[in-house]
Amino acid sequence: MSHPQVLFARRRPGETVFLEGYLAGGGYRALGAAVGKQEPAALRALVLDSGLRGRGGAGFPTGQKWSFFPVDAPGPKYLVCNCDEMEPGTYKDRELLEADPHLLIEGMALAAYALGVQRGYVFVRYDYDEVFRILERACAEARAQGFLGERILGADFRFELHVHGSAGRYILGEETSLLNGLEGVRPNPRLRPPFPAQRGLFGRPTTVQNVETLCNLPGIVERGAAWFRGLALTPGEAGTKLFGLSGHLNRTACFELPMGIALREVVEVHGGGVRAGRRFKACLPGGASTPYLTAAHLDLSMDFGALERVGSRLGTAGVTVFDDRTCMLAATLNLISFFARESCGWCTPCRDGLPFVCYLLERIERGQAGPEDLEILKAQPAFIHQSFCALAQGAMGPLEGLLTHFEQELHDHIARGGCPFGGA
Amino acid sequence: MPRLTIDEREVTVPAGTSVLEAAEQLGVVVPHFCYHRALGAVGACRLCAVEVLEGPQRGLKMACLVEAQDGMRISTTAPAAVAMRRAVVEYLMLNHPHDCPVCDEGGECQLQDMTVAAGHGVRRYRGKKRTYPNQDLGPFISQEMNRCIQCYRCVRTYRDYCGGEDFGVLGSRQRVSFGRFQPGRLESPYSGNLVDVCPTGVFTDRTARFRARIWDMQSAPSVCPHCSLGCATWPWARHRELLRVSGRENPRTNGFFLCDRGRFGGGYANRPDRPRVPRVDGLEVGWPEALEAVRERLTRLTRTHGPGAVALLTSGRASLEAAWALRLLGLSLQGAPAVYEPHPRRDRAAREVVAGLGDLGRDMQDVRQSDCVLIAGLDPEGEAPMLAVAARQAVRRGARAALWDPRPVRLPFPARRIGRPPGPLLEALARADGAPPAGLDAGQAESFAELRAALVGAARPVLVGGVDLLGPRGVRLLLAAARALSAPGRACGVALALPGPGSFGGALLAPEGPDFDQVLSGIEAGRVRALLCLEADPLREHPAPARVAEALSRLEQLIVLDHLPTATAARAQACLPTTVTAEMDGAFVNHAGRLLGFSRVYAPGLPIQVTGGGRHPPREFRPDTPGELPLPGWAVVAALAGEPMDLGALRLALAQADPRFGGLPGLDPAGPGVQLALAPSQALAPALPEEAEPAAPAGGLWLLAVEALFGSEPLSARAAALAGLAGEDRLGLHPADATRLGLAEGAPARLRAAPGEATLRVHLEPGLAPGFARVARRLGGPLEAFAPGGGPIPCLIERGGA
Repeated sequence: MSHPQVLFARRRPGETVFLEGYLAGGGYRALGAAVGKQEPAALRALVLDSGLRGRGGAGFPTGQKWSFFPVDAPGPKYLVCNCDEMEPGTYKDRELLEADPHLLIEGMALAAYALGVQRGYVFVRYDYDEVFRILERACAEARAQGFLGERILGADFRFELHVHGSAGRYILGEETSLLNGLEGVRPNPRLRPPFPAQRGLFGRPTTVQNVETLCNLPGIVERGAAWFRGLALTPGEAGTKLFGLSGHLNRTACFELPMGIALREVVEVHGGGVRAGRRFKACLPGGASTPYLTAAHLDLSMDFGALERVGSRLGTAGVTVFDDRTCMLAATLNLISFFARESCGWCTPCRDGLPFVCYLLERIERGQAGPEDLEILKAQPAFIHQSFCALAQGAMGPLEGLLTHFEQELHDHIARGGCPFGGA
Repeated sequence: MPRLTIDEREVTVPAGTSVLEAAEQLGVVVPHFCYHRALGAVGACRLCAVEVLEGPQRGLKMACLVEAQDGMRISTTAPAAVAMRRAVVEYLMLNHPHDCPVCDEGGECQLQDMTVAAGHGVRRYRGKKRTYPNQDLGPFISQEMNRCIQCYRCVRTYRDYCGGEDFGVLGSRQRVSFGRFQPGRLESPYSGNLVDVCPTGVFTDRTARFRARIWDMQSAPSVCPHCSLGCATWPWARHRELLRVSGRENPRTNGFFLCDRGRFGGGYANRPDRPRVPRVDGLEVGWPEALEAVRERLTRLTRTHGPGAVALLTSGRASLEAAWALRLLGLSLQGAPAVYEPHPRRDRAAREVVAGLGDLGRDMQDVRQSDCVLIAGLDPEGEAPMLAVAARQAVRRGARAALWDPRPVRLPFPARRIGRPPGPLLEALARADGAPPAGLDAGQAESFAELRAALVGAARPVLVGGVDLLGPRGVRLLLAAARALSAPGRACGVALALPGPGSFGGALLAPEGPDFDQVLSGIEAGRVRALLCLEADPLREHPAPARVAEALSRLEQLIVLDHLPTATAARAQACLPTTVTAEMDGAFVNHAGRLLGFSRVYAPGLPIQVTGGGRHPPREFRPDTPGELPLPGWAVVAALAGEPMDLGALRLALAQADPRFGGLPGLDPAGPGVQLALAPSQALAPALPEEAEPAAPAGGLWLLAVEALFGSEPLSARAAALAGLAGEDRLGLHPADATRLGLAEGAPARLRAAPGEATLRVHLEPGLAPGFARVARRLGGPLEAFAPGGGPIPCLIERGGA
């Protein structure tokens, strides 16, 4: 079943589209239509109208975020692209940038124009050295061609873009940690308020956006808000979504699919079904921090609203599938160990609470736990949700999914004195 | 002023107050770790959970981060809040070693208190505990990282508040640790504050390690005697030994923190060689005989040779009451002259400060809140360490800062520097045309103009200086500049560091009268036959020690009252032991004219460490306490003057004689002190005549003999904990001068100047102004004769020597 391709329209296997190909495919037309021809305020209204929501995980409406930005404040303001894609099971931004880097540059230039920003940064994950090189080259091309730099397209619009390679920790995906990392200081998250829109990078107004979010802007500018809303299959949602599939599937690749597509189609058609003829047991719908969905959710439409209604989140739409032989306790322990390892160490619930949860899960997995340990475990999410930033709260996603849908597995571990799936 | 309800009790607080602080006003302590009044709220520990029942955002919140708002209803006892606090303490205790029996923090440990307060009583974690290797952080601080609960107070104090750079956060997740990148002595002169802010036993006072529990120690509110700032302290003593000192809160002076000299410099009180028994003519005698003998000698000489036959000398070390008693003693001796500072230049400079400061005086709180700070002729590390930390707080809030000094002064904040003597710059600053003085290079001229404009435009500008480099003339220039930069309703303030804690009070009591040079002339002429020194050591504090030694040998009577085994005391016919600050009640007037009281912490006596070889209880039983005889300086002098040995009576008499001291009789040592009402600052005589400074000899340099952080100040220089920390005495030279003289780094050089000669190794200091040489005078070192406070003196430097 083929769906309209917007972000992946120019994508060719094993190739990167640089300037020539991008221009040939209609690239930078949106920028040409906007810069000097449309009022920045009109562009912001367009984005609000389009219903675009942030693709980095939280799904905050982009137009609304921009409405808080002090567009007319004097002095430097910054646009930062968050390409610190380090959520387990998430690789869509890498796929996108390795295919079509100029899409991001055009998107950022449009955002900068709309927000009155003259300097932008792309904050690239440590391990994404290929993406880093591609972006450096694309930026150089764009600069040489007058899509970046002074008097872009002859208009009174200046935008300089820098690519910054991260020193590499998951916490840098948190936007205020990212800003600290960009400034060269220890990347602990910052207290909010003040929000980055008020005091962000170097103390100046800053907006931080995900790669995929920014890449949607050229399409919206070129074809309009109604077109963008019409891409979604469910009312109230908008656009396409990149789904990065992983786990126990026959085909684990990244697909651009309409917002609101049924989970069943994602798994069975695009993912080619669960591998080795096994049955679907559960999946993470949008990265390691989203609560599990189960086979009962297979007919759910994959969009922000529907997943929130069942107590999960669309997140980054990195779908990780688990087959029926998976010990969900062990899977959860694996995920929370990642979060515990990546804690920056600033606040107690994250730094010490997550290892405590791992300790409890390990005890249960090894059959050393009693029913009282399960009660202790169940009490932890309420405390860990009081963490300083969203990292530890995200870590509670799989634990809460485990407790909601697979509590019986925990009881089985305790009753059997070990893992019923033969693990540990 | 929001009015809110906390645990069903109403409280009204200023706007901007947090719920945690509002609760504190009701006496409700919400458990917390990372919040600290001086360091603010950062929301890291997540312990201070409360439930917001009514307010803009309801539910479980961190009390330190929620701003109190009108109509809020808060519960600190809601089940969710109680459960959260218990969980956080459980998390924090997962890896804690539970080594309280061998932890010096025991009994004063916030972690112990909060564990109990949060109700975490049963350990449920049975896993392995995380452990850390510890670092050797030098002689002051012991590190035991396993006890850490990651409240981040240490870095926020060491780096953010005090400006240290060699200590920080290392690692991440559950392995976060706090220390140096490599083991080694902490470089900041404010490192000891780690002990005060650490809520558990990670950073403890190494100098007092394993010596006492807090409940076994005596303490009382006191004032630091190691410079003129008057920082508030808690000295802690056990078995007659001053074991350690911690910071006390005084918003007008130090705030919370102390420098390492003040914190670790108290060991002079414990020295076994301290004068402890009255001695007359080489014999130990009781107090009645000693007082009678001294009194008889002084009165006899006065009667026989007239009023000028006896001279009295004290120093900035003496308390205000002792200085006042000295004046009474002078009156009882038919007007014997009393001198309040052995160094004549320091004496005249201090009197200039007291005469001209008036309402321009600014204390450390004012400096912290200033928006433009000029430091002219002050090296805070040697002369007034915490003043630099105060200025740093101003800079952190965005204040502009500049430094005018020929020395390479180390400051814990960035400042625009002009490396020249401050006198001509201050003179130009006072002129209305704003023109820079002659001889500046382009960068310096621009820096001068920029700072002058900033001072004129600032709302709360402060000029900071030190009397040692400025001297009387420089002080007058600085005060004139401050007056010139003041406008109606917007004064340019002044904060001047003086030689000692009692210097301001002494100068207030002696606006006129001779200086010590005049007394020396009197001795040399045979007019002065007896000298009484109260806590003064002219042999080490006068710029011409050879002249002093010669004069002292001519005296018929040298009477010394002191608690230090000084060079002068060693030559005295009569030596009467006095108490140290922590052993008595009294008061100082600090550099800003603030009256600060201190209380007796413990009774004097030889430490059991000394008498019992460290064993306790002592094996030798006797009815008296060994070494208990020292009396407060004010008491001894009052007795010699024929007055009652009664502090209250002395204070009342002073308050009646001089209405500026009206706050003295009711002074509360635990309070913030009382600002003296000084007359408004007025222009004094146009300008002092140039100080008689001979020209630098041909081929010579100007020598600056200054105080170092450790080893110079007379009290802390005798503290065991600081022994050896001053380092080698070196001769600081500008590289250009060194090249001209054919001297390289580390080369031996012969220094010759009026006070004496010495052979030193050369240390190249690019930050030093060309034409200047710098030495830090360390007591007991080869530069002992070079008393600080003399301003630039001519010197000759040659290659060679041993």
